[in-house]
Amino acid sequence: MGRVLLVFRLVLGDLRRHPGPAVLLVVSTLVATAVLSLGMSLPGATERLYLQTRAATAGPDVVVVAPGTSRAADAALRSLENVPGVAARSRTYRTFFTPITTSGGEVRAAVLGADAKPGPIDRPLVTSGEWVRPGGVVVERGFAGALRLRVGDRVRVGGRSFPVVGIAVTAARMVYPWATMGGPDGGPSDRSGLVWLHERDTRALAGADVPAASLVYLRLRDPAATAAFRAVYHEAHDPAVRLNAFTWPVIAFQDAVYLRDGQPILIVGGWLLSFMAVAGLTTLAAGRAAGQIRRAGLLKVVGATPGLVAVVLLTEHLALALVADAAGLTVTRLVAPLVVNPSGSLLTTDAGPSGPVVAMTTVVAVGVAVLTALAPAVRALRTEAVATLSPAVRRPDHLVLLSRLAGLLPVPLLLGLRLVARRPGRVLLHAGGTATTAVGLTVLLMVDAQPDRGWDLGGVTMADLMDDRSRLLLLGVITAMVTLAVVNTLTLTWTTATESRVTMAVARTLGATPGQVTAGLATAQLLPTLPGALAGIPLGLFTQWFFGHQNPPQPPAPALWLIPPALLLATAALAALPARASARRSVAETLRAEAV
Amino acid sequence: MNVLQVRDLVKRHGRKESLVRAVDGVDLDVPAGQMLAVMGPSGCGKSTLLHLMGGLERPTGGQVWLAGERIDTVGERALARLRRRSVGFVFQSFHLVEELTAAENVELPVLLAGGSPRAARRRAQYLLDQVGLDHRARHLPWKLSGGERQRVAVARALANEPLVVLADEPTGNLDTAATNEVLRLFAELRAMGQTLVLVTHDGRVAATADRLISMRDGAFVEDTWLAGHTGHTGRFDGLFAMGD
Amino acid sequence: MQDAILAMLAKEPSHGYDLGLRLRRALGPLGGSMNAGQVYVTLARLEKAGLVVHERSEESPARPDRKVYALTEAGHERVTAWLGEVNRPKPDLVEFHLKLAAASASRLADPVELVDTQRRELLRRLAEAQRAVLAEPEGSTGGLLLEGIALRLQADLRWLEACERVWSRAGQESGDA
Repeated sequence: MGRVLLVFRLVLGDLRRHPGPAVLLVVSTLVATAVLSLGMSLPGATERLYLQTRAATAGPDVVVVAPGTSRAADAALRSLENVPGVAARSRTYRTFFTPITTSGGEVRAAVLGADAKPGPIDRPLVTSGEWVRPGGVVVERGFAGALRLRVGDRVRVGGRSFPVVGIAVTAARMVYPWATMGGPDGGPSDRSGLVWLHERDTRALAGADVPAASLVYLRLRDPAATAAFRAVYHEAHDPAVRLNAFTWPVIAFQDAVYLRDGQPILIVGGWLLSFMAVAGLTTLAAGRAAGQIRRAGLLKVVGATPGLVAVVLLTEHLALALVADAAGLTVTRLVAPLVVNPSGSLLTTDAGPSGPVVAMTTVVAVGVAVLTALAPAVRALRTEAVATLSPAVRRPDHLVLLSRLAGLLPVPLLLGLRLVARRPGRVLLHAGGTATTAVGLTVLLMVDAQPDRGWDLGGVTMADLMDDRSRLLLLGVITAMVTLAVVNTLTLTWTTATESRVTMAVARTLGATPGQVTAGLATAQLLPTLPGALAGIPLGLFTQWFFGHQNPPQPPAPALWLIPPALLLATAALAALPARASARRSVAETLRAEAV
Repeated sequence: MNVLQVRDLVKRHGRKESLVRAVDGVDLDVPAGQMLAVMGPSGCGKSTLLHLMGGLERPTGGQVWLAGERIDTVGERALARLRRRSVGFVFQSFHLVEELTAAENVELPVLLAGGSPRAARRRAQYLLDQVGLDHRARHLPWKLSGGERQRVAVARALANEPLVVLADEPTGNLDTAATNEVLRLFAELRAMGQTLVLVTHDGRVAATADRLISMRDGAFVEDTWLAGHTGHTGRFDGLFAMGD
Repeated sequence: MQDAILAMLAKEPSHGYDLGLRLRRALGPLGGSMNAGQVYVTLARLEKAGLVVHERSEESPARPDRKVYALTEAGHERVTAWLGEVNRPKPDLVEFHLKLAAASASRLADPVELVDTQRRELLRRLAEAQRAVLAEPEGSTGGLLLEGIALRLQADLRWLEACERVWSRAGQESGDA
């Protein structure tokens, strides 16, 4: 018990004394786990929502559509109940492809003649208002959302005005805007939304010679046996009638098209963010390692066992990582329903991260914590207690070529370059982080430069929800990326400034001014930034082309050329802060502190 | 001519109860070419005095004159310029720039003072040769022994031909042999007329100076001119009578 | 030994027994090795030399040792000279230590000043030795002996620093009281 208390007290004390690094650790891990878990939640997420909706609305296993409303079509549809494996068949419904008029204008729509009391197959779930009655129209939820229709609004269908009496969702139709399902005469589907009218109210449309289709809903004995059905149903009916079967997996697949672009954005973005988080945290841990080792040494001197020392170090990192992981998953839970169901056409009762995703991100977070804490912990355990109390002898091993070139540069810059060159790993991480940011910004700018065409729904152009969704996700991921880049740059420059404090103090005893020292440190940080930023642009262009369905490459947006100078400027500004703070310290004090 | 003049110099750290009078009203004149040692127990304020004289710290009160120029009132840039041209520092823990080779460390002040890379290289070569380390020029500091490191530091301090070299416990981290290396170097500098101020608690270092000041609690308690350097002319016969 | 006993008597006349006690106290743990008879032998020698005289004390008739010793004029002179002299070539640690204790007790001299004088002398000699060391070529065997001398002198100097710290504090405390 006393031990637990001691560990708790030590961890708490350290957190109180160094809240900055703890916050950085939490923020980095949080962003990475949130995006990663979101990205990992996407595969199958929409399918899961579809299954929920299907269960809640008694969705059909197969929807079979026949063009027109002819007797032959009816007969052909009816004959499907003889197909082996079919358990039940609904009555034949009619869909009329006719524009509806809202206050916003004329919009293409599929109008389904529905029963006041839905049959056993496809019982649309009313999410607001009530189900159709004669003289009242029900609008599919995604469609209603796009048109901003509410219960009580009025729409004109086939020249007659109806009040909107309800909003509903169904699993028997593809989500907005793919409600056409085969379209008039079985042609390529145009984008449109679904509304339900009472059967009786559709008779006017039937008489007005509006393009129409007939359909039945089938229930299979085995809902999974859709492939078998598809293989044999053509043999059962009059070959003169062209039937078109939509099995439920096909509908689910089409619904997931929404996330076709979003998924790579999130998954790729999630891994890039994880890389940035690890880069930042590694630098942070390296910067704190000296202090941690010293702390471990102190604990050992007062008689703590090596085990206890390791436990304290690991506990702190683990606790912070788990907090960050929980926060990241919470963010995912809040954001996921918006991401996976952009049209609102499906139910979203359970859209949070699934068990495996939670486990996965937790493993990642714990891994990051252990990786960053393990090195100092192991080093602390291995080092003699007394040796840890005296400052470590730093041994720069190899000088990189660039430090040779540095001889021609102004002295403070030379010093800065040498400091940077001493840690080639960190230079690579910094360059990588900058490149990642540049990739993100490039993709953002390129996507932004594409015209937002929108969805043509007949008279009105509606917002292209799919594209909008992708852009929003992209913006979110890149915002997170920039946030992490800022955090990383601060971590990096702060660590470098701390480590170079003595060197810079020595330079000042030799007559360097504080301004020279600050400039040197800040400029030296820019070295890895420039190649990183430059490499990021072509990488970003490739990424955008690769995940943008390999459309012919578009010319680079002129704004791209602003990325390197912008990144350089931002890095210089962020590097100047800790450098300045460090340069302001009294030289004598710095040297004294180091000499002890 | 006095290279350094200090008048009623005061430096206090902290406030109220924790107030420390590191330097408490000190007057000092250091003539050109003198080798002055300030001796005293640790914490007596001798390092602070050195820092004040080199413009690394600012006094609480009093004046510091370097080559007839008052330095306790000038700005940070002017101080930096002054350190570049007029003062050379040598520290107990060497404070070589770990990332730079021995030669580059010596070049540093020349480059900072605006010298050309070639001039810096030539100067470094000459000075390292003088301190007997020309063969170590391309080594990084951690590859050098303590005495070698301190000799590089002395060479660096001399890079811009400073008016005065200020050394803070220059032998504090060195063993006997290395101490002798460094003291031999100081003796040569002295012979060349270099003004030197050493702060030390090592009697051997103090004993090689022309003048010895003892410091206690921030003030001078004794100012002795040690006997002239007549060399080793058999004046230490008495030393051998010590076997007891 | 003789000088130390004389200096102790300079404070006030004492019994031989008390003198022995005070000497032992001043020497601390080293005092244990001192033979009690030594004090009486030394006193007798000093008396023969005319530096001390004794008279019988009537206050404590129960004690066998009733001789109270006091300094003569010549004894006083000898003590003053001893305190003022700087030890050459090298201070005997015990003697110098006793001298400081005696100086402090008798108030005939300031121990801190004695330390200072001694230090100046040591420094002078250290300077000679050190310069001789530096004049020797690096790594020569001839320099080794000189180096040993310099190191010993340095050690003595360090000890003097400690002496000064203790005696200046002792002086302040008695001054405050």
